[in-house]
Amino acid sequence: MVKTITIEPVTRIEGHAKITIHLDEQGTVSDARFHVNEFRGFEKFCEGRLMWEMPGITSRICGICPASHLIASAKAGDEILSIRIPETAEKLRRLMTLAQWTQSHALSFFHLSSPDFLLGFDSDPVKRNVFGLIGEHKEFARRGIRLRKFGQEVIEVLGGRKIHTPWAVAGGVREAFDATKKEHLLAWIPEARETVLLALETLKKIHERYKADIPNFGNFRSLFVGLVSEDGGLEYYDGTLRVMDGGGNIVADKLDPRLYQHFLGEQSEPWSYLKFPYYRPLGYPKGMYRVGPLARVNICDYIETPLAEAERKCFKAMAGDADAMNNSFYYHYARLIELLFSVEKIEQLLHDPSLFGSHIRAKAMINRDEGVGFCEAPRGTLFHHYWVNENGVLQKVNMLIATAQNNLAMNRTVRQIAMHYVDGQSIAEGMLNRVEAGIRCFDPCLSCSTHALGQMPLHLQLFDVKGILLDECVR
Amino acid sequence: MCLAIPGKVLSIDRSTEPLMGKVSFGGIKKQVCLDWTPDVVEGEYVVVHVGFAISKMDEEEAGETLRLIREVEGMMEGELKSSTDNSGIS
Repeated sequence: MVKTITIEPVTRIEGHAKITIHLDEQGTVSDARFHVNEFRGFEKFCEGRLMWEMPGITSRICGICPASHLIASAKAGDEILSIRIPETAEKLRRLMTLAQWTQSHALSFFHLSSPDFLLGFDSDPVKRNVFGLIGEHKEFARRGIRLRKFGQEVIEVLGGRKIHTPWAVAGGVREAFDATKKEHLLAWIPEARETVLLALETLKKIHERYKADIPNFGNFRSLFVGLVSEDGGLEYYDGTLRVMDGGGNIVADKLDPRLYQHFLGEQSEPWSYLKFPYYRPLGYPKGMYRVGPLARVNICDYIETPLAEAERKCFKAMAGDADAMNNSFYYHYARLIELLFSVEKIEQLLHDPSLFGSHIRAKAMINRDEGVGFCEAPRGTLFHHYWVNENGVLQKVNMLIATAQNNLAMNRTVRQIAMHYVDGQSIAEGMLNRVEAGIRCFDPCLSCSTHALGQMPLHLQLFDVKGILLDECVR
Repeated sequence: MCLAIPGKVLSIDRSTEPLMGKVSFGGIKKQVCLDWTPDVVEGEYVVVHVGFAISKMDEEEAGETLRLIREVEGMMEGELKSSTDNSGIS
């Protein structure tokens, strides 16, 4: 059947992220909502396709972190084949996952977040972007570009020039590692490490500079969810799920990620297209949890590389008695710790002889009618869940993405900032910048933020208890 | 779900820092920072995140991605229409 194309994807490009703030009878903030007009229907679209096509399709459509979708999708395929992939294939996939982290975290910190920090939240918005950054901190910005390029180089060496070619497949990967490229990649390491250390030094000065602002940046207790390795270390490719509460207590451990639907629910709200996942045992919305760098560094017992582990200890010391860092501002710190880990771990993996084996793909027939693939994407835990028939044709697809899992917490962050900056009947100066910076801690992957350079297009509305519009601002 | 829509690079301004270009997404033109993809040339396609080109692709790859996105959008449009029909609103 030929499908008629009726609308162009461009309608997604001009959108604004809408935020509404609702006051109670006393005129104080009772609620703030971050409305997301997102892309829906993708899972339905996949039904009827072959499971083998999914790594290619998902990495194409979700092209912001293609390598993570590639890995999660291939892992769902491994499950359906009931296969244990060769050691070399697993090592290569691990390397790919870290390369994606490096690339994504470098962009998030150096080009998206640092203009806020280095130029100031209240600086001229015309300059508070990458132009201003390059004008005043040229070397810093350049170093960020180089660091991201390192991640990109690793991806290209592994998967070829075109990331969208499904390099990872059910059962393993398609191409062995070209050993002649090893030295080329290793040559990047010293510079990459130095750049991350410089970024950490810079961020610590920022922590001092914004001492007054930081406590109002999404600072609340919530659960934290992510993968940990068998013995509790920071994990990015496999392992089991751990749930920690805001007091640093492990409330659930060694949960099988394949059974995620048993403990993670997905709630819908009429005012947002993005679902609101929650931790089932606590119900909705009490089961609010955060994923991504802050969660991962919070929940792990250790990090296996020395420099990142030393930073993790500093991070934990800052969390104080609670033993969990509850302030969303420290997503940035956690992101840099992970960036340091990625560089160190990539170096370790490149020295691992098993990376260069020739057994890279195991083959099998369809042996199960259901499979869950999971990994830690830069923004948090990613799940691909497929149901297939005996020929591998998809009957149903469910994808649980990181940005959705942070949805409740992002709303909570916006509410906290609103409480602090809503001034009676009007929106205080500097509010928009801080809301944006608050959302940016989570580095969300949303269509509305995709095409506007540097600044997220925001539409902020303030309503009284009767629903009458008191004030609004758009940019 | 985030959506990586490839845009076609119409022009590049090599006199500025950072490197900027005009990119067309099905007719909507945007200024995009090309610092992360410095070897991109006019006529090639880029995937953009928060105003930064994060990867480039050739016409064939971009065409395949756009085809997929249109297909999903087309399906959604069909669904919206039928749900309106069912509700009895005409």
